[in-house]
Amino acid sequence: MRRAALDIVGTMCEEARKREGVARRLALAIVLAVASGIARVTPAYAHMGTGLPGGFESGFKHPFSGFDHLLAMVSVGMWGAFLGRPLLYALPVIFPCMMVAGAILGMLLVPMPPVELGIAVSVLVLGLCVSFAIQAPAWAACAIVATFAIFHGYAHGMELPSAADPIGYSVGFVLATGLLHVCGIGIGLLNARPNGILVTRSLGAAVALAGGSYLWLALGL
Amino acid sequence: MRDAALTAALLCTALGLDLASAERKVVLLGVFVFVGSACAAALAPVPAAWSDGVFLGCWMSIVASAAIVHRRRALKNGVALALSLNAGVWSGAVIALSPSRMNLLEALPAALCAWPAAWVRRQGQAIVLKVLASWLIAIAVLGATLQFLPVTPGYLPDHVD
Repeated sequence: MRRAALDIVGTMCEEARKREGVARRLALAIVLAVASGIARVTPAYAHMGTGLPGGFESGFKHPFSGFDHLLAMVSVGMWGAFLGRPLLYALPVIFPCMMVAGAILGMLLVPMPPVELGIAVSVLVLGLCVSFAIQAPAWAACAIVATFAIFHGYAHGMELPSAADPIGYSVGFVLATGLLHVCGIGIGLLNARPNGILVTRSLGAAVALAGGSYLWLALGL
Repeated sequence: MRDAALTAALLCTALGLDLASAERKVVLLGVFVFVGSACAAALAPVPAAWSDGVFLGCWMSIVASAAIVHRRRALKNGVALALSLNAGVWSGAVIALSPSRMNLLEALPAALCAWPAAWVRRQGQAIVLKVLASWLIAIAVLGATLQFLPVTPGYLPDHVD
């Protein structure tokens, strides 16, 4: 009887070890896949265009057209998932609102530190926050996200006035940004699964790697 | 060219999120008031010179309606009906400035989001509505600001046109 029980426990431990191994391999694969993708991505591609055709479709596609913006948005959602309530919901509210503030600054051409540098740093820092599952106090998390949102919004704002339909464009890019946060939160739900945290943190590490490469290129090193 | 239908649809969406928290009889009455006032305003002769003011009023109404989603206690029956009337007037006025009044048919259905929003609220996920309302506020603030910027907004001809 005792031997049978020990056998069952042994089998369960072995299965757990196998699962952990699979999760580690999966995490490594994700990091490598994203890292190899980075090599082919131009830095800050989402913010290089001017003279956009405008409209909802153009605005909606814009955040998806460059990895820098996309990775930052998804990371905000993933970090929110680590931080839990109320930041899980507060961060996706703060980011679009502060992004609009940044867009207004961009349209007014208010002088700012180099925007591409700020965006690269945002990808790096947010990736690190997810990777290390940093449990920042609410005010600090809000301040970090708000600051980075201003940089992303500034980049959008500089392009917005040349769009043919600025209202449609604004609706598109705010909606797409929000949806990317929701995607990040969705990925963050993996945390509730066995070894899910490992996958999420690995994704964070991959994002941080991407951020590092953007920063490297932005600094012209 | 400013998209009047989209602006009106955003206001209708904000109203829909508001009505999701109201009592059933108030929702029905609110929708009636909203549709009636929107049709009346859309048929009214709105001078083209009022364009900036009308659009600004519409943006401000979106902000006010979306802000109420965050303050559910403030949504008394009278407030819900006042918001319905306000949304109807401004969305109708914006449509009256557009080339075709049929654009109203594109905008008004957005208020139907009240039903799924009410379901979301019943599931205890009211925070989702608050997040959506915040996005609407962000868009409205940006849309309103565009009118006052010294740069060339996209809806005006610039040096290229």
